[in-house]
Parts: sequence; C-alpha cells; structure tokens
Amino acid sequence: MCSYHGTIRLFVQVLWAHLLCGWAFGSELTFELPDNAKQCFYEDITVGTKCTLEFQVVTGGHYDVDCRLEDADGTVLYKEMKKQYDSFTFTAAKNGTYKFCFSNEFSTFTHKTVYFDFQVGEDPPLFPNENRVTALTQMESACVSIHEALKSVIDYQTHFRLREGQGRSRAEDLNTRVAFWSIGEAFILLVVSISQVVLLRSFFSDRKTTTTRVGS
Amino acid sequence: MMLTAPGAGIIILFAWLSPSNALYFHIGETEKKCFIEEIPDETMVIGKYRTQLWDKQMGSFLQATPGLGMHVEIKDPDTKIILSRQYGSDGRFTFTSHTPGEHQICLHSNSTKMALFAGGKLRVHLDIQVGEHTNNYPEIAAKDKLTELQLRARQLLDQVEQIQKEQNYQQYREERFRMTSESTNQHVLWWSIAQTLILIVTGIWQLKHLKSFFEAKKLV
Repeated sequence: MCSYHGTIRLFVQVLWAHLLCGWAFGSELTFELPDNAKQCFYEDITVGTKCTLEFQVVTGGHYDVDCRLEDADGTVLYKEMKKQYDSFTFTAAKNGTYKFCFSNEFSTFTHKTVYFDFQVGEDPPLFPNENRVTALTQMESACVSIHEALKSVIDYQTHFRLREGQGRSRAEDLNTRVAFWSIGEAFILLVVSISQVVLLRSFFSDRKTTTTRVGS
Repeated sequence: MMLTAPGAGIIILFAWLSPSNALYFHIGETEKKCFIEEIPDETMVIGKYRTQLWDKQMGSFLQATPGLGMHVEIKDPDTKIILSRQYGSDGRFTFTSHTPGEHQICLHSNSTKMALFAGGKLRVHLDIQVGEHTNNYPEIAAKDKLTELQLRARQLLDQVEQIQKEQNYQQYREERFRMTSESTNQHVLWWSIAQTLILIVTGIWQLKHLKSFFEAKKLV
C-alpha cells in the first residue's frame, strides 16, 4: 500500500515537472542573417500564455532588420520594417505554431547579426511542489523578488553588451579603414608627384625626329 | 517539500532528453546554420537539438529518423575549433568557455540519406542554455539534499556569479575598445603629419628638380 502510494506520488511529481518544463520556455539566440535572406523560427504555444519577443541588431550595415510575427492562423501580430531594436509582448489567443521571421531582403551586400529573445510563459518554479497550499514565507518571497530583480539585471547587461558590441565593431572598422587609407594615400602622393615630374620631363625631352625647341 | 531521490532521477532523465516544445527552424540539406554566443570565460553552455525529416509521401514531419546525423562544430573567439563532432538525430552537446568572447556554434546535416528525399527539408528543434540556466536545480537539490530556502539561496548565488563574470568580461571589452580608439587616434595623428611632410618634401623636390632641369635645357 505504502509503495503504491509512493509510486503514484512519484509519478505525479515527475509529470508535473515535465508539464511545467513543457509550458514555460525561453530561447535566446544570436545568428547571422546574410544579405537578401530571411530566417524564420517557429514555436508551439498554448492559449493564454504570455509571450515576449525582443530583438536587437548587433552588427551590419545600418543595424536594421525587418521583423514579422504571425500566429497559428497566419494573422500578423507584429510587423515592423527596418527596426534596430524592439520588444513586443502578447498573450497567445490561439493554440498552435507561432512563427516569427527576420528579413534582410532590403539589403544588397551587408549581412547582419541579429539577437533575439523569445520568452514563452513564466519560468518554472524551482522544483515541483505538488502540495503548495501555504503562502510563501517572508524569506521565500524575499528570495523570489531578488531573483526577479537579478533576472532584469542580467537582461540589462545583455542589452548593454550588444550596444557596446555595436560601438566596438564600428571603432574597429574605423581603425582599419584609417590605417589602410593613410598608407594608401601616402603611397599615391609619392607616385603622383614623381610621375608628374617624369611626365613633364618627357614633354621637353630631345627626340631625334620631332623636337620643338623654343626659340630656335 | 524535498524531492524524493527516484523522482529526481526521473526528472533528470526527462531533462536529458530534448525538450518537446523547443523553438524550431528549417534547414536545407547542405545548409549550415551558425549561432553566436558571446560569453565570459569559464561559462558552461549546453545545447540540445532534435531533428525531424520531412516525409513527402505523408506530407508531414516524421517523429524520429534513424540514420540522420548532425555535425556540430564549435569555434572559440580565436577561431580555433573546440568541438567538432557528429551526433545522431537527437543530440546534446556541452562545452565550457576558456576565453571570453564570441563563440560560434555551427550545425549542419551530413546525412547522405537526405539525397533520397528530393527537396529535403529538415526541422531542427534547438535549445541553447548558457551559464546559470544550465543548472538543473531539482538535481542539485536531490544531490546535496537542500531545503527549499537553501536551494533558492543557491540559485541567487549562481545568478550573482554570472553577473560578476559578465561585469569582468565587460571590463575586458571596454579595455579593448579603448585600445582600438587610441590606436585610431595615433594613426590619424602620425599619418596626417607624415602625409603633410611628404607633401611639402615632394613639392620642394619637384620645384628644385624642374628648375635644374629647365636650366640645363637652357629654357630658363
């Protein structure tokens, strides 16, 4: 009798954990989007789940991308062209596969790196408590609020890192360009001034057949 | 309420398997998809993927396809390959970064069976967890026998550690940024002076040379 009850309890625990893992999910990815390309991601969402899509262009061109979010029936929930950074929260009204796409089709030769963070539902609780009837103690609720605050700190850090990455890649580009063009220009300067003199000399050079001597 | 050991064991088993509700995307036969993870050093990254092949006859994606493999290649910020392995149709790869920076995770299918299915499309479910998200708290609770409060404290400690690592990485990046700006400044300064000098010197040389040339030609 005891072992049977224990098994049932174990089964319920496991099922609860698995269900929770199934419903609450978040993916954060950075990928490269080549020019004239479109990349789509899909996710199955259940009705009533609160979801957030955040994206930021990390490198490339004018740091903009087209983004489009469609629900299971193809209705466009969010559509923005040439956006650098945005955040969109919605509650799933239907069950099904939601699709969001990033497009770089307007760009002819710059490929972009895009970061996105798609949060579906809330984070699962720390471990399954199948008989959570009492409210959280003060310590526990303090821990929960610290956890939420730290999560937003980590989120801000990520966005700061991406912005700083942008600035840094521009600075590195500038450095290479300045170095390359300075050397190039110095070289061109020398070549042009020497060839000017050589060319001028050739106008006045003594030729056997045709010579126009001034004052002859 | 503490977790029973067998319960935790089964949860760990489920956690090992690929998540059923992961984000997915479509990949072509020979297409290579790369993802970038910019992470501080000593950070653990766990990636899980699951593949499904498009079945033309059934007009839907098959649940599991044996013989289908994905090649996973991970490069560190110095473009040195730290992991290059073949996995089955479901796989789990993990690595820990030793240098801070942009790590590149590339996936491509290398199954020859795909050639048989014309217009092969592959659906890849992917989940990449970084840093403190890789910690499996129920497992830690069962292993170290922690109470709920202790577990919460452990989670907060892990989060704070991740924030610290990111701050250190930020310091390192800011230093690199500053060095790049200083280098640009030096380039601009010295090359402008050099170019002005070259301009003046070649100008003087040109005049002197032409003057002596025309005097020799008795034109002046």
